[in-house]
Amino acid sequence: MLKEQPYWNPVLETLAKENIRDLQLRKFRKIFEWGYEKSKFHRALYKEAGIKPEDIRSFEDLRRIPTVEKSMMRDIQRKDPFPYGDALCVPLDEVVEFRQTSGTTGQPVYQPDTWQDWEWWSECWSYILWAQGYRPSDRVFIPFGYNVFVAFWAGHYAVEKIGAEIVPGGVLDTQARILKIQELQCTAMMATPTYVLGMADTARKMGIDPSSLAVRKITCAGEPGASIPTTKKRMEDAWAAKVYDHAGATEIGAWCFECTAQSGGLHVNEGFFLVEIQDVETGEYIEEPGRRGKMIITALDRQAQPCIRFDSKDIIEWAGEPCPCGRTFRLIKGGVIGRADDITKVKGVLLSPSAIEEVVRGLDGLGNEFEVIVDKDGDIDRITLKVEIIKGREGESKQIEARLKDQLRLKTNLGYILEFHDHGTLPRYDVKARRFKDLRGK
Amino acid sequence: MDTTYDLDGITAKIESLKKTAMELADLGEDFPALYRNARRILAAVKMLEINISDVSDTTSSQAVFMKGGDPTASS
Repeated sequence: MLKEQPYWNPVLETLAKENIRDLQLRKFRKIFEWGYEKSKFHRALYKEAGIKPEDIRSFEDLRRIPTVEKSMMRDIQRKDPFPYGDALCVPLDEVVEFRQTSGTTGQPVYQPDTWQDWEWWSECWSYILWAQGYRPSDRVFIPFGYNVFVAFWAGHYAVEKIGAEIVPGGVLDTQARILKIQELQCTAMMATPTYVLGMADTARKMGIDPSSLAVRKITCAGEPGASIPTTKKRMEDAWAAKVYDHAGATEIGAWCFECTAQSGGLHVNEGFFLVEIQDVETGEYIEEPGRRGKMIITALDRQAQPCIRFDSKDIIEWAGEPCPCGRTFRLIKGGVIGRADDITKVKGVLLSPSAIEEVVRGLDGLGNEFEVIVDKDGDIDRITLKVEIIKGREGESKQIEARLKDQLRLKTNLGYILEFHDHGTLPRYDVKARRFKDLRGK
Repeated sequence: MDTTYDLDGITAKIESLKKTAMELADLGEDFPALYRNARRILAAVKMLEINISDVSDTTSSQAVFMKGGDPTASS
């Protein structure tokens, strides 16, 4: 019988910082050597840079290693060994799982995994679920249509691994999912923030108050919403549940998670991943809190198609304070703040879509959905923000508009053309929402 | 309450488990049910190595950790 224990791995998650750094460097050397020996793609990249495995003795050494970008992975795919190309480090018959990226930023990238990789994926997720309070007594519902994307597959297997009960809500529609959650008294679920809010709306339309259901833990993925305080509050209020964030990607793994302390940051699983933060402008590596940069990440144990110094384009920053939960894994403040290719200059000002989300979701009287369109009026950048007014609040539109303008100016330092739409008329999304459209280059 | 983990002792048992699973896989070249299940055991053993054996190499032979979490107590 397992005794109550706050950590999935009480040794690794409380390891002294110098031991974690030592572990990461040793494991980095191993995975670098693995890629160098087994993958033609990686070996060619490193030979061109003049770096061999024996050259890696310190963190300064490893920063000389070229980064890998998604576009490079796209270029090698659909070639031999088909369909993965020559970054594959194992014989093709050892690959047991195919997944692909969602294609949000272009052509999808294929990801092969061995069974060991698949075990590793669910191991990463076991850290997440245990830290978020999932236990063998939980019955976990996944309201998501599993398919070629990696989303929630590893969460599914981690639920099994930690000894909880999984209820796969795959092909059911939203109403049927809500009824199944009610029927089985499911205690937890995993979904995108957009869908968590959408399910709550649907439940109310069905005459079911989502807070009356037994769900008390929700793990979010796919969008930054669960780390945006106003969006998190909307979800928690709707479901009377704790909402936790995590971040992961097909070609990386599930690399960070929020814990039950909800200290405003996500723990990097530093036993499994090495995260570096690089200043986008200067290329300098950032160790101190309070400075944002893009994440360069290495999955320290991934086998079939390694992830070594992958330039994720995710914008993050280190948190200043340790988490009261006692984990020594470092925290990134506020989760993934945005993507280097999403944070764009408008009228010369850096604009992050998540800043707009924070404003919209924080205003009483506005619905959950919104859309941002950046285009040009002649030579001048123009931003249009479309929002929905909640039914019954239409008479307050002038006051809401004034508050929205003020908050947007305060948070983003930009002016907007505001469009108010009837509730329920803007596009709804089940998976990754695409609410930000930059049409200036088109 | 302190909880003590004998990481070296656990690591030795993991190594023994790995050796047995590898021997089973070797015996299963013409026995799919033996070979594939032994390989799956080896994948799970790898997770034990990542969680414990790799960490054991980093720490002293016997590490003490505070139950409930005081990271400063581990070094």
